[in-house]
Amino acid sequence: MTRARCDTTPHDLLAYWLGELDEAREQSLEEHVFACAACTKRLAAIVDLGAAIRGELLSGAFSFVTSAPFIRRIKEAGWQVREYDLPAGGSVACTVTPDDDFVVSYLRAPLSDVRRLDVLIDDTTSGKHRVNDVAFDSEAGTLAAVTSTVYVKGLGPSQRRVRLVAVDGVEERVIADYTFNHSPS
Amino acid sequence: MFSREVINPYAPRMGFEAADTDDDAALARRIGGRERDAAAEAAICRRFGPRIRLYGLKHLRSEAAAADLVQDVLVMVLTKLRDGAVREPERLASFVLGMARQTVIDQQRGGRRRARILEAFPLDLTPAAEEAPEPIDSERLKLCLGALPERERSVLLMTFYDDRPADAVAAELKLTAGNVRVIRHRGLDRLRDCMTQAEGTT
Repeated sequence: MTRARCDTTPHDLLAYWLGELDEAREQSLEEHVFACAACTKRLAAIVDLGAAIRGELLSGAFSFVTSAPFIRRIKEAGWQVREYDLPAGGSVACTVTPDDDFVVSYLRAPLSDVRRLDVLIDDTTSGKHRVNDVAFDSEAGTLAAVTSTVYVKGLGPSQRRVRLVAVDGVEERVIADYTFNHSPS
Repeated sequence: MFSREVINPYAPRMGFEAADTDDDAALARRIGGRERDAAAEAAICRRFGPRIRLYGLKHLRSEAAAADLVQDVLVMVLTKLRDGAVREPERLASFVLGMARQTVIDQQRGGRRRARILEAFPLDLTPAAEEAPEPIDSERLKLCLGALPERERSVLLMTFYDDRPADAVAAELKLTAGNVRVIRHRGLDRLRDCMTQAEGTT
């Protein structure tokens, strides 16, 4: 029947879509979805949402913390990535061109004993804000941060100071500071 | 020959509603009858087009290839139904899925079956809209993604950039796959709630 009720959760459907299920489970779920109008609609909504999220990522609308391997994949796919690599305490004169799809900063710091890392930002244009519990590579001692190209392409001359703070319970400890001196291209 | 008028899912739906409420077996039997039943054929296209497209997207990872798959499979299914060659009409969904699976296998083997089929049936088959979800408001999505905790946003962006499974995202973020699934789960729930709330405010 086509009008069967769908008990499959969105998370199971996403696992199916991403190829996370074993072969037997994937086949049985596929057969169910194919025969179920409600599951088809639910899966289509997930797929559409994923495509929309990808669209937002590629539009440069977001700043986000990621990983060096992810940036490598983006570059391998042919996207134009402008990269800045800063040691702890470092500063850099930076810019962005119309051809840049992504702007990435690699912040180097001793992170091997850090459990949680927060980022404090003080920007002459956007003000102060804090980003809690970001992803980082403790072995490589690196945080890879993508800055929204939509944002930086609209910037005039400005300065952004970034501070990494290790958090352990209620204790906080400054790990490193960085300075970005931006000029329009 | 299938006419464009019959199979175009964007054609006016007047007269098709009765077919949409029929179950698969009833539709299959109507197509296999002596009289040509254009409404039943159109209903089959609307019902199975989106399912075949999703199957194609999952296994071929290409919108164009998925669109081709929809055409190929619908032509074969309608041909079989017209010829009365579907032995268990009550299991039509399984039959269509089997056709889709076999077609993908043929394509992956580099077969040229598609060209031969389309030569015989020059059609304008496009996915039907029977089960189409609501379109996504990109401005709301931007707001909702921006409001997510940083790790959830990172995991969702890295997952959907190229539909990566949890273990691959985990390897890139130096986390466990289980941890990524939990973050992804929370992020998607939070995102859906935010999108729903936004819809409710207008």
